[in-house]
Amino acid sequence: MKVLFYGRLEEAIGSRLDIDTPPALSVGEVRDRLANDYPHMGRALHPKRARACVGDRFVHDRYILSGEDTLEFLPPVSGG
Amino acid sequence: MSVIARLEPNKLSAEQELAALLAQGAGDGAAVIFVGFARPCSTAGRPVDLLVLEHHSTLTQLSLEEIAAGAAQQFDVSHVRVAHRCGEIPAGAPVVFVGAMSQHRRSAFDAADYLMDRLKTEAVFWKMSRIFTSSRLVASSFPPPARVPCTSAIAPI
Repeated sequence: MKVLFYGRLEEAIGSRLDIDTPPALSVGEVRDRLANDYPHMGRALHPKRARACVGDRFVHDRYILSGEDTLEFLPPVSGG
Repeated sequence: MSVIARLEPNKLSAEQELAALLAQGAGDGAAVIFVGFARPCSTAGRPVDLLVLEHHSTLTQLSLEEIAAGAAQQFDVSHVRVAHRCGEIPAGAPVVFVGAMSQHRRSAFDAADYLMDRLKTEAVFWKMSRIFTSSRLVASSFPPPARVPCTSAIAPI
């Protein structure tokens, strides 16, 4: 599955990760895995700091992903 | 009534945007515009060579459209025009153009003020300033974020 990052998350992790996902993985589980792999970004990856987005719609952490989904993590915007 | 909101990945011409706005507003009594430029120094006084506005492929355009529509709904204006740069913007170059036309001046002033207030805090951009020395990147910095991204058009599911 493709995971995209923006802003500070992109600078710390990169713009894109391709991760292997078991069936019925939730957004929250991906978030936990990322926080484990990038412990210095754990706070920035918290649900209150980075909103999850699938198919241009914001989703809750309990949202179940399919392998075809592209998951995006959006940190707080800075405005124009 | 026209409401135009445009994300511009290349050079933004304030003159062309103004001409396009005025061409639509024949018969109106007032036009108010604001043009924002990339500052050559940070709020801390450090020199800045490049402003980088990262955007989202769809949510950024949606946020611009929602903000422009909000101005059109809230104020007695006949035309609203927003053009916003994204990508790498050299210091001194235009970043944003907002324009509003109305029968009387107050509505156009208020609409332009509203547009800029919302664009500066709610538009889906991630801003970074970069400093170069002899073409070598020596510093990048993010300003404090304004808010968690949200548009009313995109509801959680």
